[in-house]
Amino acid sequence: MFEALALIQASWRTQRSYRVSMILSVLSLGVTVLPVYFVSKALQPYAAESIASQASNYFGFLVVGFIALIFVSTTVNSIPDAVGGGIGTGTLEALLSTRASIPSLLAGMVGYSFVWSSVKAILFLLLAMLLGLHLSLAASLSGILILIMIVLAHIPFALMAASLVLAFRTTGQIPSIVMIASGLLGGVYWSMSAKIIPPWVHALGNYVPLAPGLRALRQTLLNGASLATVAPDLMLLLGFIVLLNAIGFLMFVEALRYARRTGTLAQY
Amino acid sequence: MSGLAARDDAAAFSALNDSRSTPASGKNLAVVLDGISKSFPVRRTWGEMLRHPGLRPRAPVLQNVSLAVEQGEFFGLLGPNGAGKTTLFKMLATLVLPDEGTATVGGYDVVAESSKVRSVLAPVIADERSLYWRLTAFQNLELFAKLQGMRGAAIKARVNEVLEVVGLSDTKEKIVAAFSSGMKQRLLIARALVASPRVLLLDEPTRSLDPISARGFRTFLRDEISGRQGCTVLLATHSADEVLELCNRVAVLDRGRLLATGTTTSLARDLGEERYALFTRDASHPALAAMVQRGMVGALNVRGDEDGWTRVDMEVIGGMERAAQIVATLVEQGVVVARFEKVPLPLADLIDRIVRRGAETQSNV
Repeated sequence: MFEALALIQASWRTQRSYRVSMILSVLSLGVTVLPVYFVSKALQPYAAESIASQASNYFGFLVVGFIALIFVSTTVNSIPDAVGGGIGTGTLEALLSTRASIPSLLAGMVGYSFVWSSVKAILFLLLAMLLGLHLSLAASLSGILILIMIVLAHIPFALMAASLVLAFRTTGQIPSIVMIASGLLGGVYWSMSAKIIPPWVHALGNYVPLAPGLRALRQTLLNGASLATVAPDLMLLLGFIVLLNAIGFLMFVEALRYARRTGTLAQY
Repeated sequence: MSGLAARDDAAAFSALNDSRSTPASGKNLAVVLDGISKSFPVRRTWGEMLRHPGLRPRAPVLQNVSLAVEQGEFFGLLGPNGAGKTTLFKMLATLVLPDEGTATVGGYDVVAESSKVRSVLAPVIADERSLYWRLTAFQNLELFAKLQGMRGAAIKARVNEVLEVVGLSDTKEKIVAAFSSGMKQRLLIARALVASPRVLLLDEPTRSLDPISARGFRTFLRDEISGRQGCTVLLATHSADEVLELCNRVAVLDRGRLLATGTTTSLARDLGEERYALFTRDASHPALAAMVQRGMVGALNVRGDEDGWTRVDMEVIGGMERAAQIVATLVEQGVVVARFEKVPLPLADLIDRIVRRGAETQSNV
């Protein structure tokens, strides 16, 4: 844990030195929130019925979906990016030569991305609240818990992509596939129970970890539902976490072993 | 036929692994390699892969390498590019797995006990890009001190101490991006030293340093790292100065095979490669040619005049006894001798001859 914090601190110091990039990143949030607000207003009459079980207005529905997507994107991209970058610069080899354990190194390498995503998510929410979003603040702890579960369910995809980077220097497009699947089938932009969604697309959505997570998150944050109410979705999410993490970690350990066998830890 | 060529190849080659230079049994060994072999897959063209899809060609990088390094020893690893030195270092640093054989560092197996190995060993094998360029020198070392398990006030004290040792105290608050190559190299070494390792691996550590900095660095390695801290150092280098000034023993690798271990002096002696310089008024005296014919000395090399005295370099086969015999014979034959002195064999020549001898032995086998 201490090692991970040291790496997060180093990343913060590095990112802080790129001031323009940091400022632009914050400003872009405002640029995103405003179009979402106006588009959701325009689509509210058409979307109201299909989203009723999760949210009363389309703006809230979209904002929560975007926040979940920010974390999914951070999760699936940060680990392969950190591993690939580390291989390219040689820092991965240097880090692996230390006494720190691999989980703490990985946590440290991507920790800053999660901290920064959290900051962006909070700013995003604050801007949305200024524009009229109503959140159940009492349910915020439950919301954080569900967000953590969503992240945990997507770590395996990141580990699989990082494994491919370690072994073959490609992510195999896993992050892009996860992002597209989460966006289209996870219910970020529309409710999967809408009448216009074909049944087979709806069925596919059951295999996307974001779908149950997002349903639970919206019901909790926007409707004030308790964890017990959303328990079925959380159990499904938990199933994804257990099953996928076992596969993801196994793949990563094997890929690291493969890179050590072929001597390619520092070759890009 | 020269004396060198006349010797039995196999006997000469085995003599290169000098028993006199092998660590005494019973002493604590810092690094032990036992039959280490490693090969890497060969990258093939698309055409080759389509023509022979079932083939999985591999190139040997290390072949049955065995050696032992004592605690506190300064051990040089020599050999041409592609000899396998860096792979061997990476294997000791647990970054590459061996195909066969075992390797231990501080008594810990590099495969089964890799985390313990990393707690006693620090490599300097990465290039300067592996530093965090947007952080200061102090912040870089602080980070790695924490990753190496150091805590609290000890970190600051140790980082400052190491920065002082590598001469970067004055620039510790500068970001690494503003450093020269030499400064970055020194910071890489400082990074390795920060956790006070018992075994230090240095892969061409002075390649980016100017001659004055390199000399200072050698002094630092000898006095501080090897002397005061008693650290075992394995040094891969092409620098003769480093080998002659620092190393207790050396090993010569070529194409993954360990060709010889020992002191540079003993290796030269065992190769029959003891060179002497004769300063005489009469380099064309028939007594000299006669000694070559009788095989007392190898080929003569007339190097030119120094104040009217001609320097003649020769390989003397048979050690000091034979050298004394040569002087006596020359004087007896009326050759005027001003000086007759031993000339150290240049490192490049020594490696080259060991490598050639290894190749000859291999082809005979």
